[in-house]
Amino acid sequence: MTVTLTSPDGAAVDREKVGIADLAVVTDDTQLVTSGLGSCIGIALYDPEAGVSGLLHAMLPTADDGRSTAPEKYVDTGLEQLISAMQTAGAQPQRLHSWIAGGSQMLEFSGGKNSIGARNIRVATQQLSARSIPIEGADTGGSSGRSLIFNPKIPGLIVRTAKDGKKTL
Amino acid sequence: MRLDIRELGQFNHLASQGAQRAAASLSQLTGVKMNVEVTDVSLVTDSVLQETFGGRNFVGVSVGLEGGLSGETVLAFERERAETLQKLLLNKAGASQALAQSSVSELGNIMIGGFIDGWANHLHEAINMTPPTYLEAKGTRILPRETLHAASGKGVFLFESRLEAMNVDLDFSIYMLPEYQEFVDLLSRSPSEPAIPANKLRAFDGLAKRGAHRAAEQIGMMTGMETSVNISRIRFVPLTGVPAQVGDETMVGVVFKLTGMPSGYLVILFDERSAKSVASAMMPGGMQEDGIGAMTEGAVKELGNIMTSGFIDGWANVLGTSIEHSPPNYVHDMGSSIMSPVVSKLGQRQDYAFVIDSAIEMGGQQGHCDIYALPDERELAKTLSALPSNA
Repeated sequence: MTVTLTSPDGAAVDREKVGIADLAVVTDDTQLVTSGLGSCIGIALYDPEAGVSGLLHAMLPTADDGRSTAPEKYVDTGLEQLISAMQTAGAQPQRLHSWIAGGSQMLEFSGGKNSIGARNIRVATQQLSARSIPIEGADTGGSSGRSLIFNPKIPGLIVRTAKDGKKTL
Repeated sequence: MRLDIRELGQFNHLASQGAQRAAASLSQLTGVKMNVEVTDVSLVTDSVLQETFGGRNFVGVSVGLEGGLSGETVLAFERERAETLQKLLLNKAGASQALAQSSVSELGNIMIGGFIDGWANHLHEAINMTPPTYLEAKGTRILPRETLHAASGKGVFLFESRLEAMNVDLDFSIYMLPEYQEFVDLLSRSPSEPAIPANKLRAFDGLAKRGAHRAAEQIGMMTGMETSVNISRIRFVPLTGVPAQVGDETMVGVVFKLTGMPSGYLVILFDERSAKSVASAMMPGGMQEDGIGAMTEGAVKELGNIMTSGFIDGWANVLGTSIEHSPPNYVHDMGSSIMSPVVSKLGQRQDYAFVIDSAIEMGGQQGHCDIYALPDERELAKTLSALPSNA
């Protein structure tokens, strides 16, 4: 059911794609990938003891910002959903570590400090801190788009931009 | 007949779930993880079907539907992709030789079955499937004759789900074309706002096409290149699927905010090579710039401004409203991430969008440009509803 491709160190790698307003949870070394992050924000969570990883790609800061019922669309309800899905998979909230990336301001008419990107970063940071989940790495703001790979084996978040190539948080 | 936009969204969602199930079946059969990139629905005419299917060889499966929804469903693969699938099936340990040999028919049956189930549940009515018919044809001949006939009249609704293999070079689409009148009846059972009059959709389509042709003419005037509109259609698509449609390739483009009735966004994207070609063609004596720099930026902004004016000019006249556009916002980044702030902005008010999607070819092989117009859904519905019926 899974595909394998070979990584430079010869080990087989599985990947799972996370869409926009979407999340995924895995309990093995499957890499979680998402692309098209502009003002959107990606939040990766990892429980090292249970080996459970999750990635959320949220579009808007809070559920008050829209009329949709899809929790994954928002940082606040999406994070709640992600943690709950990870708990079902065996993770414990107090053991979680996090990585965040995204929230850029790509367009001039985005609205500065109150741009969706800036608010996404603020809400993500607040929500993680309120839950005492440490942020291990962050690459937020700026004006570039990003694509992300969460690799549980590192564990770390690999961020790629069109201009600066790859870096690992 | 007024088409309920929420209901259209619901059908799109169900089609998308059907595609997810189909992808899961396929993953199991081939051992390759399949991902549903996006599901959209568009009202298409025969010319769009021609653009979508024309010139390519297909193998496919056709299944007739009866009951809660009637019509023909066609699952079409481009011939070479079907061959790749067959190879995958043969390679997979445990797949029987028989299954591999009749793979397209088998897959068609399984996938269409998955596709239809959700619709039947939603309608609380059984949908019966006739046995699958294996098809091989070139271009639109893969589609049922009734579909082509309907397309030249009122148009047909075309559901398209694009599937992509995660780690193998394989992507293909599932197309589903329900019978027009029956589908329109379904969408207008108990219309709630926002709703769009069914007979105005063609007018809207015409408007979009004229906009694309005007924008193409502007490129021609500014660059001296020959231009043609390759594809122009209105898709109804979940906002979250829009960036995936654009893809992750690095693009050069401009984003405009539209204000008026309807408000929204207009995004013009060139791949890097095309951006350089148009910029160079706009400079007297060609362009002296390595890579994509200030000169390309200036040229793309200027061209974008003129194209946008061309695109929306005709709208205001036909719609009887006024639409203004912002100064160009220049972007040079991954295509999908350029769409991200646009869908986020619209996402504050809606989950789905009518995306007017036009592709323009320049000077033969010299370049390519995509225009995406994303109007505010409610404002668009209101504006179209107010159109006189002879518009």
